Amino acid sequence: MSNLLCYARNRSTSVEQIDEGTVISTCRLQDTLTDAEVTIRVRLPELEIAEASGTFQRYGPKSCSQAANALKKIAGVRIGAGMKKIIRGLLGEITDCDELAVLVEECCHGVILAFTKEMLAQVPKDIALEKEFFANMIKENIRLYNSCAAFAPGSPIVEGIDPP
Amino acid sequence: MLKFQRTKLVDIVNNGDNTITVHGILDDHIYHIEIDLVIGCDNLSIQAIQGKWLRSENTECRRAIPFIERAVGIKIDEEGFSQRINKYVGRKSCPHFANLIIECCDAAEDAIQVMGYEAARVENPGLRFEGFSSAGKSAAPPQKSSNRPVSLPVEQREAGVKGTPLQRDERGYYVDLHMHSYPASQCSTANIDDLIVEAKTIGLDAVCLTDHNHVWSLNDVEDLKQKHGFQVFRGNEITTDQGDMLVFGMYQDVKGIINLGDLRELVEAAGGFMIAAHPFRGFLVFNTSQIGMTVEKAMQRPVFQQVDAMEVLNGKVTRPENDFAAQVAAGMKLPATGGSDAHAISDVGRYVTCFRQRIENGEDLVTALKQGDYKPKMYHKFRQQGEHDAG
Ligand SMILES: [Zn+2]
Repeated sequence: MSNLLCYARNRSTSVEQIDEGTVISTCRLQDTLTDAEVTIRVRLPELEIAEASGTFQRYGPKSCSQAANALKKIAGVRIGAGMKKIIRGLLGEITDCDELAVLVEECCHGVILAFTKEMLAQVPKDIALEKEFFANMIKENIRLYNSCAAFAPGSPIVEGIDPP
Repeated sequence: MLKFQRTKLVDIVNNGDNTITVHGILDDHIYHIEIDLVIGCDNLSIQAIQGKWLRSENTECRRAIPFIERAVGIKIDEEGFSQRINKYVGRKSCPHFANLIIECCDAAEDAIQVMGYEAARVENPGLRFEGFSSAGKSAAPPQKSSNRPVSLPVEQREAGVKGTPLQRDERGYYVDLHMHSYPASQCSTANIDDLIVEAKTIGLDAVCLTDHNHVWSLNDVEDLKQKHGFQVFRGNEITTDQGDMLVFGMYQDVKGIINLGDLRELVEAAGGFMIAAHPFRGFLVFNTSQIGMTVEKAMQRPVFQQVDAMEVLNGKVTRPENDFAAQVAAGMKLPATGGSDAHAISDVGRYVTCFRQRIENGEDLVTALKQGDYKPKMYHKFRQQGEHDAG
């Protein structure tokens, strides 16, 4: 029996730092229905979206065909806590295209993960030292306590750390 | 050179028994995870899920696997699906598994629509997908808010005698200037009466209600004051395109995301006062040196030119983030405030603003804020360990 796919999706996000003060993040979605792309230019050190542009090339939800025009609304938004509500709110004033907000959010997460990756490059290989590294990270930023299974009570990483 | 890349792949197979199997892969510089889901085509609910790690951030990430099961039974088309997955799977298991589940289920909804189209085309070979999807099932569009914030006619000024001389209070007058109650703030778990009782119990002098984009009516606040024999002020935490602002003395009901400049105009027209709430929340996730952030550069952010003060002790941010805000406020000579940002009873009074004078009503609060004679304080610590200032 052949097991053909009835649907396939590929979403790819790439982040590039083009100079000391600028990061470019692009998210491209290609699936059975849609081919769309959003690019944001992010200013450092503010982590602010300086510019955003995008295209919807192949059929997606009808509301999305002209949606990329809405992207100018998000210039000036800062990437970080609370950004999702702001991005959804600003784009939602102009368009019902949910996918547009998803593409922007994926671009923004890509930027955060790019800097997270650099921080994780400091994690020691030794297990005991690794535990200490993450324990210190949680002590510095107690919001991380219980934010996922690895940082939840019962995990050796949070042993001895008081809950917030 | 590429700094980071994330690829997500979703493959979907029709099992022919009214279910589909969804295979998802998330592969990036940090993580590599895979999941398999079975979803019912009729009830659109997740029937089974399995996941595995191929690469992860740390050794303990493996603990996330058993909690992925929490997604079973959730309907993929239900209102607030993503929030539910983020809450039930993201926080208990791993946010990256939650991200991949949401991606897979979004694709699954599309796939079920495509299958419906393929079936309809057997009867009607000329049918185009665009025609099929617009005639058939289509997700309800999200609630659309207007371009400009909605303004409801609400009183512009608090009751109170204008220009009452502010009385000097030697001990200081302790106000928790930032708190959220349920249901006015959906993210809060604290009932308004319990918040006020707690504030009274721990010895605060007043609280200020700052529910998200919510205007408390003067009558309701008066009723609360009478009921508890306690001073209650009203403010509003308004989300702008530049972040959250605590607004006092401006009682227009702002819905949606307002432009910061537009809000500034409204506040000025009302003679109100605006404070940048938790201005560096989440900002210092990375080393400041990593993104090149300095106090001097932060001082140049245009957002801070538009505010009257800065919240430098907020109960929901990290100490380095509060310290950084205090340095920026000091550098800009902006008045600094403190507030718990309470979303639960136990949060009340963690940080407060200590005024030199007693404050009798909402108008006096705005006057006092403008005079700038106050300090942010760590209130709980103040009681246990002696006095501390911010910074
Ligand atoms: Zn708040």
